[in-house]
Amino acid sequence: MLSSRLVLISAVAIAILATVFAISSSFSIYSSNITYDDSKKSVSGSGNNDRTKIATINTPHGVYQTTGDILDPTSQVIDDRNKIVIDPMKYLRTFNYGRVSTLPNGTILREFTLIASDNKVMEISPGMFYNVWTFNGTVPGPTIRATEGDLVRINFINNGSKPHSLHTHGIHPADMDGSLDMVGPHGGRFVYEFYAKPFGVFPYHCHMQPLEEHISHGLYGVYIVDPKKPRPIADEMVMMMNGYDTDNDKENNFYTVNGIPYYYMHHPIQIQKDKLIRVYLVNMLEFDPINNFHLHANMYQLYRSGTSLTPSEYTDMVTMSQGERGILEFTYNYIGNYMFHAHKTEFAEKGWMGLFLVKGKSELDKIFDDGSNNNFAQRNLVTTTTQETLPGGKGDSGRY
Amino acid sequence: MVDINKTDKGGEETIDKPQQHYHLIIEKIKEQLLNKKMILIALIPIIVLGGMIVFLFNPAGQLLLQNSGNSLPEITIERIEFQDAKIVAFLRNTGSKDIAIAQADINDRIQPAAIEPGKTLSRLAIAKVIIPFSWNPGEPYEIGITTSDGIRFHKSIEAAVLTPTPNLEQVSFFAIIGTLVGVVPVMIGLLWFPFIKRLSTNKYIFFLSLTAGLLLFLGIDALVEASKIAAQDVAGVFNGQMLIAMVTIVAFLALLYISEKLVERAATTTSSVKSLKLLESSSSLASAADSRFEEEERKQHELQHRKRLSSSLFTIAFMIAIGIGLHNLGEGLAIGAAVLLGNVAFGTFLIVGFTLHNTTEGLAIVAPIAKSNSKVRLRRLMMMGVIAGAPAIAGMWIGGFLYSPIATIIFLSVGAGAIFQVIYCIMSWILNNSNDKNDIVNDDSNIKNRKGRKNVWLNPPLIAGFIVGMIIMYITSLMVSS
Repeated sequence: MLSSRLVLISAVAIAILATVFAISSSFSIYSSNITYDDSKKSVSGSGNNDRTKIATINTPHGVYQTTGDILDPTSQVIDDRNKIVIDPMKYLRTFNYGRVSTLPNGTILREFTLIASDNKVMEISPGMFYNVWTFNGTVPGPTIRATEGDLVRINFINNGSKPHSLHTHGIHPADMDGSLDMVGPHGGRFVYEFYAKPFGVFPYHCHMQPLEEHISHGLYGVYIVDPKKPRPIADEMVMMMNGYDTDNDKENNFYTVNGIPYYYMHHPIQIQKDKLIRVYLVNMLEFDPINNFHLHANMYQLYRSGTSLTPSEYTDMVTMSQGERGILEFTYNYIGNYMFHAHKTEFAEKGWMGLFLVKGKSELDKIFDDGSNNNFAQRNLVTTTTQETLPGGKGDSGRY
Repeated sequence: MVDINKTDKGGEETIDKPQQHYHLIIEKIKEQLLNKKMILIALIPIIVLGGMIVFLFNPAGQLLLQNSGNSLPEITIERIEFQDAKIVAFLRNTGSKDIAIAQADINDRIQPAAIEPGKTLSRLAIAKVIIPFSWNPGEPYEIGITTSDGIRFHKSIEAAVLTPTPNLEQVSFFAIIGTLVGVVPVMIGLLWFPFIKRLSTNKYIFFLSLTAGLLLFLGIDALVEASKIAAQDVAGVFNGQMLIAMVTIVAFLALLYISEKLVERAATTTSSVKSLKLLESSSSLASAADSRFEEEERKQHELQHRKRLSSSLFTIAFMIAIGIGLHNLGEGLAIGAAVLLGNVAFGTFLIVGFTLHNTTEGLAIVAPIAKSNSKVRLRRLMMMGVIAGAPAIAGMWIGGFLYSPIATIIFLSVGAGAIFQVIYCIMSWILNNSNDKNDIVNDDSNIKNRKGRKNVWLNPPLIAGFIVGMIIMYITSLMVSS
């Protein structure tokens, strides 16, 4: 009798306690002065390290002030430069011409080294980490550039845990195609050698099956072949359109140009008013059938695949499927901020948008006078030493 | 421990007879030692268990479990509120490890947001994500939250509605709706009292089992609703489905105990003498074949039986009122939450549906008391109506202003347990009652009694009542399902 009553009382007590807990848990979220560990907040890395400071988000929908953290990839910057998947500003105007030497028959030989790896977890958006598979440690891989007729030699090393390969678009013999013969993991090597032809802009990528997996994880880059008679001097830049499927559901969670969503929104690409801009644009977006590039307040000459010196179209909108590419040439006649983005708005609103900041010449003197943008001066610089000729000779150029 | 003390006391008494004082002291010491020993014995497994847990959390244990698979992060978006030019999502880290939130999106499009208290959430911790957004009333929205390892969790809202804030206007609005949906229909149902009172036994059994059918439907409905909420809004760690089962069974047993206790007490108190006398003079459920032999003994036996029945009828009605009250609390919670979650837009049709649906609940209360021959005061009847209906208002407030899915499923489960208990009481009352005649004819031996007892399931009014009750509830429920 006593024990049964005890059981009853305890059962009812448990039920009441559970109810109280359930209700109180919904109450507690309302109380504004929730105590929490301050040290946790400093982990945030949101640039909001001042713990007493109130952070503000400013959106077209309104302003909100918070004592908490900000979640805003459209304005936040990745703080840790060691974990960032790529520096989009550096990638934008970096063209690698290889280790240049001249063969006895007068042909210019350009040697490159590409190292594949697949074990890195890197920050692709503020606070967002993803297992990227990389060529030379970045997504996209380094832009390699040659002139029509050059002999291109790519020392390919696979440091990954899976077989990989290097498949370059362009004209070359079957055994240099990198699509049927894979290079083994953990240090496998292969030397791809072919003549650079025709002139144009091409993607290169790993061709290991499943292709979708290897491409979506980031094994791709841009390969440019210049015509023998160079194109007019311009402020040249490379733009790789890609995406990341961070939850592996075969749908992209992010869309970017040059590897980091929204990067050029908070770091606008500074260009000079009235100066010719040339964009080498490549689409390697996985999963989605198309991608596109829309330029604001301007029109561009489009050279599809870059294989002609005559523009195929004068437009502000080009749509490409995976592997398609082109050269875009335009000039801004007014200063100010101009957007460029995918006109598939979903892609734009998941990171594929950026800004050109057009400035007068005097404002930009600093940028162009350091020679970092003067690619043509360097492209045919013949070196016989083992040193590479990289723009500015900075960064981890030893790999290229 | 209690049992041991008891047996030892028993032992004491036998030893007392030799009247040796020191013997008694030794016994007491022995008893104390035994108690200590018992505690020690009980503690041994707990100590070993503690050691094991300590080992598993130690580096050595961690090494052992290193390759036992990685635990995936998990976030549950428990609630979404639509406020003025912003959407607020309430999260809970329901995974097994700490996580960091990286971004928020609306309809799968990234939006700048703030997270409070911070973006790092320890296990079971809660956070509030505030997304400034000019949302459109009535449109569906999906709110997504992505963790630092790129996994996206999302929750959909069928139609955005400005989240009610507890101001006077909103409180009274909910009170009015709660009254319309809860109290008024039950009161209407009570108006069947005079009708039920004048019914013959068979018809009465029909209505009583109809009540049981109605209640059975409500009980199952509560369980279905609770498990739906458990599946949608309650994180896996809370083991929602088992919570429902546990709470339902606990509520059933607890209420069964309480009601049996109430019946027992009512049967033994002197206050029931009045009702006993009333019963004596009455002939409403009288057995036609009342034997003249052993009249005194038999009558007394019968009266005792009837007294129990009568008081149990009132208890049943009372328990039904409580059970329906709990049910209506759950219903109110569900409606309030639906308003809060934007799943429902109040329409006249919905209110009419609930009114029709809940009118049957009044019938359920009134059916058992109709045949208890004690005087039924109007005030008492009204009180039962209020007990059954008013919780809907409280439910609306709780559900509408601070929706907690766990609280909701607990209330729904308690309601279900209460309802099943009531069904049990009704059924046992019907069984006892329908056996009355046979009891009286063949009371001389148990064997005969059992032989003569009719198969209760061959009772047409009972079966018909059940079926009609279920059908009525199903049809009226069609009016409230959206």
